[in-house]
Amino acid sequence: MEKLLEMAKKVSDKAEVYSIGYTHNSVSFKNAKLHGIESKIQSGASLRIIKDNKLGFAYTRNLANRQELLQNAIDSLEGEVEANYDFPLTEKLARIDTFDPSLENVLSTQMVEESARVCDLLKSETDAEISVSSTTYTETIRVMNSCGTDISGESTFYVMYGSLVFPGSASGIWGAFLSKDFRQMPENILNEMIKLYTSSSKIVEPKGGKMKIMFMPNSMIALKWRISIGTSSKSVYEKVSPIANKVGEKIFDERITIHDDPLNDKHPGARAFDDEGVACKPLTIIENGVLKSFYYDLDYASKLKAKPTGHGHRTTAWGGDPISIKPVPALTHMIMEPGKKSFSDLVKSIDRGIILEGALGAHSGNIPNGDFSIGVSPGLYVENGEIVGRVKDAMVAGNIYEMLKQVVDIGDTLYPSWGTAWLPPILCDNVSVTTKN
Amino acid sequence: MFEKLRAIVSKVDADYADARYEIKKETVISFTGQDLTKIASNSTDGYVVRVLIDGGMSSVVFTKENDVEKALLMAEENAKLIAKTIDKPVKLAESEVVKDTFIPELKEDPREIPMAEKLELVRRCNNIPLEHKKIAMTRISYEEVIREKHLVTSEGSEIREDLVTTRLSGEIISKDGNLIQNVRVRAGGSDGFAAVRDQEKHFEERTAIAVDLLKAKPVQGGVYDCILNQGLAGVFAHEAFGHFSEADIIETLPAMRKKMEIGSKLGSDVLSIVDNPTIADQVGFYKYDDEGVKARPTQLMKNGNLTGRLHSRRTAGEFEESISGHCVAEDYRYAPIIRMGTIFIEPGKPSFEELITMLGDGLYILDAKGGQTAGENFTFGAQYGYLVKDGKVGEMVRDINISGNLYKTLKDISAVGNDLVLSKVGGCGKLQMNIRSCHGAPHALVKNLVIGGA
Repeated sequence: MEKLLEMAKKVSDKAEVYSIGYTHNSVSFKNAKLHGIESKIQSGASLRIIKDNKLGFAYTRNLANRQELLQNAIDSLEGEVEANYDFPLTEKLARIDTFDPSLENVLSTQMVEESARVCDLLKSETDAEISVSSTTYTETIRVMNSCGTDISGESTFYVMYGSLVFPGSASGIWGAFLSKDFRQMPENILNEMIKLYTSSSKIVEPKGGKMKIMFMPNSMIALKWRISIGTSSKSVYEKVSPIANKVGEKIFDERITIHDDPLNDKHPGARAFDDEGVACKPLTIIENGVLKSFYYDLDYASKLKAKPTGHGHRTTAWGGDPISIKPVPALTHMIMEPGKKSFSDLVKSIDRGIILEGALGAHSGNIPNGDFSIGVSPGLYVENGEIVGRVKDAMVAGNIYEMLKQVVDIGDTLYPSWGTAWLPPILCDNVSVTTKN
Repeated sequence: MFEKLRAIVSKVDADYADARYEIKKETVISFTGQDLTKIASNSTDGYVVRVLIDGGMSSVVFTKENDVEKALLMAEENAKLIAKTIDKPVKLAESEVVKDTFIPELKEDPREIPMAEKLELVRRCNNIPLEHKKIAMTRISYEEVIREKHLVTSEGSEIREDLVTTRLSGEIISKDGNLIQNVRVRAGGSDGFAAVRDQEKHFEERTAIAVDLLKAKPVQGGVYDCILNQGLAGVFAHEAFGHFSEADIIETLPAMRKKMEIGSKLGSDVLSIVDNPTIADQVGFYKYDDEGVKARPTQLMKNGNLTGRLHSRRTAGEFEESISGHCVAEDYRYAPIIRMGTIFIEPGKPSFEELITMLGDGLYILDAKGGQTAGENFTFGAQYGYLVKDGKVGEMVRDINISGNLYKTLKDISAVGNDLVLSKVGGCGKLQMNIRSCHGAPHALVKNLVIGGA
């Protein structure tokens, strides 16, 4: 890496080397039986050079041929991609606890035993078709640049997903558990899954219309995605954010507060620096319903004459291969403030409505506008405060900027949701539901 | 390279092993509005090894040659652990031993086109929508992916194949006050750079639709009879039906597996569906899959009867059905899984005009905007549509999202047109992305579709 940076400095005004190494071991159980084990040991390096305010970008899996990598970056300078920013000098970083060395020694046998235990427990309580996956992941990231930054960080993740699939479908009740070390899936998660599954086994065919909808961690992606796009500096720069001029204005119900809190190492996925070497710090996006800030990487901060917020990450909406992705503004550790109501209190407050456990098609539709129109997968139908069964062939549609003004209540428990977001259930009113009846 | 892979395979004490090495070359040129945001060519590489020991199968992926010993040890230990734990050993279906090198013939090799020419082509197309004052933004990219694959199996197969994919695609975003609309543009193929040339007319047509959408009304939610255009009916074939033809999905869902028995009458009489990765020049084209099995056309449904499904060697063994050559990986970072190649609804007799007359009142909806499926339920979006009254196409509508039940909808397809079109750009996310999975259909008349709306 040092050698590559030295070579790059000689042919450019500014240079940055990003490298990542990761190992991953994943055990999957399907239909409550061991199905497969996959392992990965991967690494790679990515180079950015800036010359005359133009960007060159290149990447490789190994540093066998530094000259070729450098030449690819030099060749891409010819495209004249504007880069009016400096790489940061980052020396001091917040101390955060993201790494548990014990995870590196976890054996496949331990993961198989734990997955089998979870399968047996779920099987003994339900007639569901059961899938469980258990994955250990260790990652090392290093960022060096021509300003003198040379920082690195190690992280460990352990994640277990369990699902209770309604027979005849592939939709069901999902539970997720994330941790920095290997430990048993907590019983309360499993018990919640069992309770939701058994209470919704009957199929009901309610009439459509406007009703209350409770977004659960798995369907929250429909909201999370649109909030992330709407508050991204990239959307602001591209003039496709409907809230571009609304900083300081109340855009949601006052109970909605959203932070991106990379330094919160209580949850796995915390980061002390972003993928461009900018020090991370907590950022309030929405506070009591008021839009407080957009989030920036180096590029869009320079384009919009703002300060980078430590949100330059090598990711896409679908994840992707970090070495081949140029940094873009991305939220990494989104946390929504929980409310005060327990899940069962929230259910009791629904006269007629749907608990949306999963959403189909959350990624399609007019996302920048905040619109969504999603299939229920599954949707648990509630009448007079009780779950009476599950709805099939129904769609829930709305616009987050309208709907999140009509919040009935927010749950008191944070759940991991789609990557490293931590969100509570949200109950909204007057949401449009289309059914076949 | 074969020699190196043979050495890896011979190091493993297994009943079966295969090793794949790939060099992946990517060129990307991206515009966001007037801004060129990315232009780069790069090459990466890596290995995937799969081992079968005593009926336990596992895989390992690695990128550094000096990790080979460690990687093989992990794969062996995991395979043995699986063998010890499962009650039914994995049995791979028989497959022909192949020694072949297949380099596709290209209409202009993209590797020989200078970057400056590629950039000029993308810039020219990107400027077409941007000249219109109602177009707020474009996101247009040229992407070229070349997989140079080498596969060696312990049974003696040695296959070298190149997959060359080009595409010029993205979205055009129109804006009027607070209303934002978007449509997609798509061109590309597996047969060379020529597939992305001469797209100016396509960009002009899509720009006009994006602008027209600003005046269209949102569709009213409800249950409609609909005509799906080729792009949308193709997505239905892929999302709603195709995924449940993939044996690895239904393998571990006992109730679905029972319902999807070969011979079951699941669709209407007019519905016949094939997956055929052997049609040269189509995006879904390949000669051998990533297990070294020769690709072959597979009739999945004939006149509404389930006639076949897509297999890997493992699932063909499990289901005791014929291998189909549909086990494909995104690239060297993944072990292969079952994927569609070119799935399409076979054409029927009625013309588009006849279908519209048959529809009478309903919606004519066009072009896909993302889809997803979960067992019997599916959802996908249409980019735009028109109200149809008394067999006449009327005003434009927007914000159309469809949801349905697989089994009901297969029976609700009441007519299939004579105008088959296959998609020019592929893309299917199923744990991995497969850019070589494409689809097609003629216009199709579908009854009782649930359309979400305010």
